[in-house]
Amino acid sequence: MSLPPRPAVPPLAAFTLPPRRHEALPGGGRLTLVEVGTVPLASIRLVLRAGAVDLAEDATWLDRFVTDYLREGTQDRDAAAFAGTLAAMGGRLEVDVDELSTTLSTEVLAEHAPAAAALLIELARAPRFPEDAAERLLTDLRRTLDMAQAQPSWLAYVAMRRALFGDQPYGRVMPAPEAIESFTTARAAEFWARSTGARRAHLMVAGRFAPDAVVEAARRASDGWSPGVEPTPLSASAREGRAIHLVDRPGAEQSTLQIGLPVIDPPHDDYVALEVTNALLGGAFASRITLNIREDKGYTYSPRSVISARPHGTYWVEVADVTTAVTGASLHEIFGEIDRLRGEAPPEEELRGVINYVAGSFVLRQSSPSALLDHLEFLDRHGLDGGYSASYLARVQAVTPADVQRLTATHLRPEAMAIALVGDRAAVEAQVTPYGSIFG
Amino acid sequence: MAASTSPFALQVPVERHRLANGLRVVLSPDRSAPVVCVAVYYHVGMRLEPQGRTGFAHLFEHLMFQGSPSLGKMELVRLVQQNGGTLNGSTRYDFTNYFEVMPANALDLALWMEADRMRGPVITQAELDNQRDVVKNEIRVNVLNQPYGSFPWIDMQERAYTNWHNSHNGYGDMADLDAASLADVQAFFDSYYSPANAVLVVVGDFEAAHALDLARRYFEPIPAAPAPAPADISEPRQAEERRFSRTDPLANRPAVAISYHVPERGTPQFYALGLLHQLLASGDDSLLHQEIVQKRALTGEVDASINFLGHMHNAQTPLLWTVVAVHDDDVSADAIVDAVEGVIAPLRDATMDAAVIERARTKARASLLRTAGDSNYPRFGLADLLASFELLEGDANGVNEIDARFAAVTPELIRETAREYLRPTNRNVLVLEAGAAS
Repeated sequence: MSLPPRPAVPPLAAFTLPPRRHEALPGGGRLTLVEVGTVPLASIRLVLRAGAVDLAEDATWLDRFVTDYLREGTQDRDAAAFAGTLAAMGGRLEVDVDELSTTLSTEVLAEHAPAAAALLIELARAPRFPEDAAERLLTDLRRTLDMAQAQPSWLAYVAMRRALFGDQPYGRVMPAPEAIESFTTARAAEFWARSTGARRAHLMVAGRFAPDAVVEAARRASDGWSPGVEPTPLSASAREGRAIHLVDRPGAEQSTLQIGLPVIDPPHDDYVALEVTNALLGGAFASRITLNIREDKGYTYSPRSVISARPHGTYWVEVADVTTAVTGASLHEIFGEIDRLRGEAPPEEELRGVINYVAGSFVLRQSSPSALLDHLEFLDRHGLDGGYSASYLARVQAVTPADVQRLTATHLRPEAMAIALVGDRAAVEAQVTPYGSIFG
Repeated sequence: MAASTSPFALQVPVERHRLANGLRVVLSPDRSAPVVCVAVYYHVGMRLEPQGRTGFAHLFEHLMFQGSPSLGKMELVRLVQQNGGTLNGSTRYDFTNYFEVMPANALDLALWMEADRMRGPVITQAELDNQRDVVKNEIRVNVLNQPYGSFPWIDMQERAYTNWHNSHNGYGDMADLDAASLADVQAFFDSYYSPANAVLVVVGDFEAAHALDLARRYFEPIPAAPAPAPADISEPRQAEERRFSRTDPLANRPAVAISYHVPERGTPQFYALGLLHQLLASGDDSLLHQEIVQKRALTGEVDASINFLGHMHNAQTPLLWTVVAVHDDDVSADAIVDAVEGVIAPLRDATMDAAVIERARTKARASLLRTAGDSNYPRFGLADLLASFELLEGDANGVNEIDARFAAVTPELIRETAREYLRPTNRNVLVLEAGAAS
């Protein structure tokens, strides 16, 4: 049963990005089309620059109320008619909102791409917002908020956002229960009218479809769409500093940890190298922190570090759910791995492997419609263009061991990291006090 | 078999081979992007693990990443990642899979690695202990420390099934995991991981003849061993409604799950049930959403599935069609159960409107394409479908007939299927009481 020797891997063929076609829409909207993918489906997204940053201080989650409301149809089609029309194309409506964008998306059989694109524009231009749905949607929103508060990962996320951004929009991710009682149909409609418009819209289509027909349908559907109001320029700043933000969850079997600090935004020259650094430290399965606290110590199942990017508010964070008894030990190991990389450049061979992983992941993502759309949204959000994508692989390949050490030393400073911890206070307090003062 | 009339039906090339040692090989080239997926499926999952060793099939999957004759701990993971690929493994009811999605230039390496892994785990007691801890933390993060963590998948299968193979908790009892030994590891490997009990699937950018040559070179020297005898996983026909309740100490809103035993995989009724799922419970246009969410406001969302760990095409029956709703204290579970029955009852008496059935077919077609076009692991979705049909029905070509099977379902068959399978006496109702204060 002898196995022949391990085969060598020939060099990767040069990778060519699938071409992107850009078109203008009436009123100032934009349209991007990419033909890619293996199955006859088209992924369609209408990204509107309307998000939580556009909300007043007392209106946290009004954007969520609005996204739920968008499922109630358009002026010409009620909820059942809208859902039925999309379903007959093989699609269903997804609505997502975050700090900066509301995204209407669907995935339909290729032949229906033009009609589905037009339908999303119809929804953005003329949502129905029926009065008689308000109480039901508010009841659902109360339930959603209540259920979120029972989830340790959500509580840790909220605590980290508050630690980094305080009362600024990026930090206001969970409303007080009484605040949502003031949400009304009129407030939803007012938010939508104020925050959307053709100039704040970017329609993106990736997959298999007839591009000219989509362009034509999108133009027709956008005809007469008012440009809307320019978004207010963003002002945000993140805070840093070691402290433990503890949410008590008596009896919890695990501590849910987030350890993070603000880092550079994507337009920064060092950002791509920081992505490589992150993959080596905690972002990949074979990364240092994961090898240590999972594959060596068995403290946790799915630890990972990510760079969570948003303009003026990008942060690095390590996330792990660890057995309660080893909460302090986990912090010790995580900070230990960060310190090790700050103190010593990684071996060339280790870095080469990580570079190939990051490059390969990029190639896989550019070949997949939904991942490609994520990338297009990322470019938009950070004011980047196709040059970023075109130069990405070369920038990844150019990262050196000295870069990784320098970036870790400069940007991943343990003394500046906040710790969000959701766990059993009585069991973890003594374990974690060596790592910072406890708030909460 | 009636051919589907849709130009959008899933149709892929399928080439099947069997090596001298019994390993089945399924190849499906697709040259549209320089990506390949290599997947090996072993026909053993949670259903077949030994009694007294619940959770073992899943623990064993973790151990298959710890070391093989030619690769030490983490070497396989590193080789995949440093060649630009990604990988995973999963344990399901009927099978355990291991796969890599790689740039096409790494096909040779991926096949070599899986052939090495098929030669058996080479692991130490320390590695077993480490992965036991990792698995326990997986169970904590997904089940024990989460509201609704075992609801409904573990809770319902423990109650709705009567055959141990189907009913036991496949994540495992902590005591069973503690008892697992290196001797168990060897015995499990010897029983279930023979080439004749496995399927190798390759999907993506390659030439079929070349991939077959490589598969022969790396896998054929592995000695043949008898495939295990199939287990009896059958369930009796349920004749009386059953009701259960449990309290979830971490949940702060009550919930209800309603499960019906489904028709046998591969039968016309199974595809009729697939269409019933689409028209009753898939999407905002579905009958249950329209009635229970939009009209009655009993909950914000109705979730439904045919397979807690996947979809209708990647598991063997017995399976349960399950409807789940989380609701408020002022809505009773019975109100939701009655409302669901109120939507279903007419389907047992009259045939559905042709347009509604056609829309269900379109949704099923698009859903299948979405599965095959999976974006998280490109090409893996199709590999999973091919492996499932090869393992569970004996022919990977079955993926090309799915659309025609849905097309052949008549309004009368939908009514008959609803009569037999969506009858209240085939129903299991599980009420989850919220144990945490709001």
